[in-house]
Amino acid sequence: MSRIKPLWWVLIIACVALFPMTLGGMSPYRCGILVLAGIYVILAVSLDLLMGYTGQISVGHAAFFAIGAYVSGILTTSHGAAPLPAMIAGMVLAAAVAWIVGRPLLKLKEYYLAMATLALNVVVVTLIVGLQRLTGGASGLKDIPSFSLLGIGFDNQVRYYYVVWSAVALVVLISLTVVRSPFGRTLLAIHSDETAARTFGIDCARYKVRVYVLSAVFASLAGSLFAHYMNFLAPDDFGVDTSINILVMLFLGGIGTVFGPVLGALFMKILHEVTYGFQDYEMFINGAVLILVLLFMPKGLYGVVSAIGRRLSARRSP
Amino acid sequence: MTGEKGNILEAPGIEGEASPSDAPVLQVADVTKDFEGVRALDGVGLTVRKGQIKALIGPNGAGKTTLLNVINGLLKPDKGRVLFKDHDLVTMRADKIGLLGLSRTFQLIRLFSVNNATILDNVMIGAHKKLQPTITGSLLFRGRMKRIEKTVRDKAYEALRLVGLEDAASNQPGALSFGNQRLVELARSLMAEPELLLLDEPASGLNDSEVEGLMGLLAAIQKRGITILLVEHNMKLVMSVSDDVVVINFGRRLAEGTPSQVSNDPQVIQAYLGADRIASWVRP
Repeated sequence: MSRIKPLWWVLIIACVALFPMTLGGMSPYRCGILVLAGIYVILAVSLDLLMGYTGQISVGHAAFFAIGAYVSGILTTSHGAAPLPAMIAGMVLAAAVAWIVGRPLLKLKEYYLAMATLALNVVVVTLIVGLQRLTGGASGLKDIPSFSLLGIGFDNQVRYYYVVWSAVALVVLISLTVVRSPFGRTLLAIHSDETAARTFGIDCARYKVRVYVLSAVFASLAGSLFAHYMNFLAPDDFGVDTSINILVMLFLGGIGTVFGPVLGALFMKILHEVTYGFQDYEMFINGAVLILVLLFMPKGLYGVVSAIGRRLSARRSP
Repeated sequence: MTGEKGNILEAPGIEGEASPSDAPVLQVADVTKDFEGVRALDGVGLTVRKGQIKALIGPNGAGKTTLLNVINGLLKPDKGRVLFKDHDLVTMRADKIGLLGLSRTFQLIRLFSVNNATILDNVMIGAHKKLQPTITGSLLFRGRMKRIEKTVRDKAYEALRLVGLEDAASNQPGALSFGNQRLVELARSLMAEPELLLLDEPASGLNDSEVEGLMGLLAAIQKRGITILLVEHNMKLVMSVSDDVVVINFGRRLAEGTPSQVSNDPQVIQAYLGADRIASWVRP
């Protein structure tokens, strides 16, 4: 587990905080890209807790993304709730769903777990389409208000950028604290060898469910942030392809590192914007970049970044 | 969750030098286990008394590891009873058994290796019983967690010092020889502060001088009052450290007694080892 020195922390936080004034040029478009990227960063980091640290695959993480988004969307439109309580309600529901389905689901392993989590994703999307009066069904949920807190509206992209990236900072901080604590070491034991872990008194099922719940809560937070940014939700945003995108970001960035998925999500979202202009070739270019990265950087982008970091510090101190 | 000081080897409730007493720590009775028609254990029974080193020997495939797996709950027997102190282990989950004061090492090394886990990480995981960390605990009670963590880390270094691997603490276990990996497993199992330690072939992969070291180590562990049930093929080790030996073959108990009784047992000699081999077990 790598530790980033305080100076690096200050630098990273300064870059994130100053982005809108510098590279962002106070442009709603550029800040908007980073808002979406931030939302995906939260998703990828939350999945890393489950996959990278606990070794449990999920091909249906968008299910919890959907729960957060729709709870926020429904409560703030037809029930007139404020965004923050609606967001918390989403997290509570996501936690409850994860806790209930987690116990039987996480008994499964590998391919079977992959299929079951994928099925969960399909069930949630089917429910969204089916519960038309509640969710707007296939035609979507319209007119979701922008985020506001204590009477302050965050209706422009530059302001909302700070909301989303504060949430990113919180999620990264909590994740790092958890994985670097004795709890994280327990997860490492479960990931490595459940049989050996059990003989030391580790209740693997219970620990897996705990991580699943935390991961679902984070994904739900990302969903709420997404709802207030898009102001419109459609079931298509939460399908299995979204779950797979999150997985790709995770592997691209470097699994089991927390920082890796941050890089992976940023890279994918920015690549998407850069190649958008190529229209028909966009998918081709995205695919090619992914294949190249996965072939030549098995530890992901974070592996490359940390290798460069190690080389630089080795040069400085002979 | 107390952070008491003291030696890693001090089992709870045991002070000073312990000698084998009559109180049974572990009683296995009439345990039968079938694997798809193959009878791995066939009504086997044994008793381990407090403070002793008991060796469980037998030819390959006799059911020794299966029996250890039944004792610590990784396998459920089809029939029979396993009593540890006052607990019936047959009905308990493996992780619950792990909290009772019973820990083990594995024949095929099972060290934790993902995410660059170090040897120190491995040994510290052995103390799960003490930490039992939660998410809220790691976020909200960091001060208390850190204090317990520190005592656990100190004990982990102590355990590694005992097996002679303190300097390797921050390396990854894969960098060690198989023999040393077994010693890491031993250190890890001691972290659980066991009353009963199950060791599955701790000497395999060790050279002669390392086996000598292991003998000293086992004697030191016994001296602190920890009872040991040992599965082992190295007869030199078995005959010199154990107080009691039980021989099993085809899932059945063949003989039980002191090393010299067992090595003179005609059934053992005839049915399983041959007189020549037995003569070489007993040191002059």
